[in-house]
Amino acid sequence: MSRTEAPAGWFSWLRGDNVGARLLRLTLAMIAITLLLLPWADLSITTHDPWGELGRMLKGMLLPDITATESPLRALLLTIAFALWGVVLGIVLGFPLALIFMRSRLVRTLCAFVRAIHELFWALLFLQVFGLSAITALAAIALPYAATFAKVYAEILAQIDRRPARMLSSRTDRLSRFVYTELPLAWQRLSGYTRYRFECALRASVLLGFVGLPTLGYYLESAFRQGRYHEGGALLWAFYLLIALLPWWAHRRLLVPWLLGTAFLLGPWPSVNPTLLWQFLSHDIWPQPLLSGDIAALPGWFSGLPDLLPAIGNTLLLGLMSTVGSLLVALLAWPLVSRHFGNRATRTLGRSTLIVMRSTPELLLAFILLLLTGPSLLPAWIALSLHNGALIAFLAARHADEIRPGLPDIRGINLYSHELLPRIYPGILALLFYRAEVIMRETALLGMLGVVTLGFHIDSSFEYLMFDQAVALLMITALINMGVDVLSRRLRPDALPERRHQPRPAPVGDSV
Amino acid sequence: MLDTATVDPGASGVIAGFDHACLSHDDHIVFPELTLRIQQGDRIALLGRSGVGKSTLLEALRLRLDDQSAWCPQANALVPTLSAYHNIYMGRLAHFSRWQNLINLLRPDPTCWQEISELADTLGLDGLLRRQVDQLSGGQQQRVAIARALYQKRPVFIGDEPVASVDPRQGVRLLDLINARHQTCVVALHQRELALAHFDRIIGLDDGRIIIDAPANELSASDLDVLYVTD
Repeated sequence: MSRTEAPAGWFSWLRGDNVGARLLRLTLAMIAITLLLLPWADLSITTHDPWGELGRMLKGMLLPDITATESPLRALLLTIAFALWGVVLGIVLGFPLALIFMRSRLVRTLCAFVRAIHELFWALLFLQVFGLSAITALAAIALPYAATFAKVYAEILAQIDRRPARMLSSRTDRLSRFVYTELPLAWQRLSGYTRYRFECALRASVLLGFVGLPTLGYYLESAFRQGRYHEGGALLWAFYLLIALLPWWAHRRLLVPWLLGTAFLLGPWPSVNPTLLWQFLSHDIWPQPLLSGDIAALPGWFSGLPDLLPAIGNTLLLGLMSTVGSLLVALLAWPLVSRHFGNRATRTLGRSTLIVMRSTPELLLAFILLLLTGPSLLPAWIALSLHNGALIAFLAARHADEIRPGLPDIRGINLYSHELLPRIYPGILALLFYRAEVIMRETALLGMLGVVTLGFHIDSSFEYLMFDQAVALLMITALINMGVDVLSRRLRPDALPERRHQPRPAPVGDSV
Repeated sequence: MLDTATVDPGASGVIAGFDHACLSHDDHIVFPELTLRIQQGDRIALLGRSGVGKSTLLEALRLRLDDQSAWCPQANALVPTLSAYHNIYMGRLAHFSRWQNLINLLRPDPTCWQEISELADTLGLDGLLRRQVDQLSGGQQQRVAIARALYQKRPVFIGDEPVASVDPRQGVRLLDLINARHQTCVVALHQRELALAHFDRIIGLDDGRIIIDAPANELSASDLDVLYVTD
């Protein structure tokens, strides 16, 4: 007896218990929630001639004036110096932590907390104690990078092949075991990741200019803010060249010369007054009622904080909007750089566009867009979506390029929708959820530009020297980011295995 | 010159044994009840289909003998990103201090280099010591793994298919070398002719049991067919 299956209806694809259906449900749910909340987002344009302004900016980019900045080379070298030494200090601090990372819950929590606060917020904090000095710049990069290195190095070391280590005699000491059988196996991935972080550190170093340290960002900000677009264009080109030529000037062999050469550039070194430092740490950053032991006054102190709910709401909303925006940008943009589509010319064009979007620091991109639209969520949304979308698109295209389509003749949209996207989509979502943590951190940060997220209140609290309030707000920001991190890790596709019939074994080292 | 140490075999000459032992691998019982004695001076070839438990038995022996045994795993236990020299040197990591090991990683110790290059010459690895292991051929990698086991200078050699990916003639030469440098050998093999010609005692495994345990000169190639029959 034959039984015909009913044709699949519109929504039947969503119902299954397979990975594909679950990812589709997740994606549609995210887009639906975003659309639902969009009316609450402030997307207004408050400047009156945004297109004219954009035209002037583009003209500045096309006709850069390299003579306008007083000492561009010094700013460029200082940007490199902060990034390089920041990363080196980050490794020195982070590597030992990586070795105990998997064993110590305390280290893991501490690292998650330190990572949850953006480099620029760290800079704002250190600025109060060390002023506009090399210590502020180096600590602002080294501290969060150490926490990141600890986590990622530990993950890399946990994934290496254990077989070579098992053949060693049981009396081999720990250090020899590590340097002979673990480090060599992990070396390539460790150095590859460190190299990637150095590029990130260059962007962070540029951004330090926004709080007043004399890196490229400092000159970029003032040039753009004052409408000197020809000068701003020249500085922006200098930055793109720096990133594009990275493989040549940042060659491994040149590492030591660069370290020694830039060591003399680092500065100025502050004279730290120990009494003031102690006053800051023991008194200024703590809520007054807590210090005086007057617990009853604590609610009063809390009510003195700026109106937090709208700021938190905006932060989360912008985070969600930008995550969805990044996904859409990535889905549209990855074919531009994939070998399966277009010809050599379109790919080169696509590649350069995406490189520009990816290498421009988000804050800078948002800052430029903000000059066009005025302070609302709109420039921040566009900037975060473009930057992170371009980043994901690159990795997605690389993944797609490894795939050989099963049917040789299909092209264009059919190839995209039937052969490639179904295979790389889980990867794209995994990358997106990895990125969500970063997007969240940056969302708060964009407040420094006047968008009313948590960063706006943090920035103004520091400005009014209300350190207790600033630190409390930083804590709240960090907690929100850590929460989003946990959520995105839960949603990430590699955390969505096919339902198994057997219960999963308990992870080793976890107490029951 | 590599000299051979001796094990203290106890009164009966037994250096390792299992008495109704239960051996398992990854929570999966491979040998429910294993009884086996290995005498000093035994040259044992371990035969059986793949997946029959040869590696589990070798692993258990290795744990029993601890520092008496030179262990030669399959070639995938090498560190692909280190040089052949360093991979061979790793055989004696526990013998040197951690600082010696660390310095040797950056600048090879001259005495060790001398000793290892002599060893490499006898294995046909001359001129390849500086080469990173993942740039060597499968046969060369296997010889590096053997060199590492020889460099450990232990009385008992335990090998998991040490000559699987070299040509037969070279396989014979390598087995002779291994036999010459060790008092006792336990080697898993899949070439039964090599097993009969170069070993004194044949142990055949099937289905979690020892089904053959006899001197090699009492067996013929056809006696071993039973090990490879799939029903």
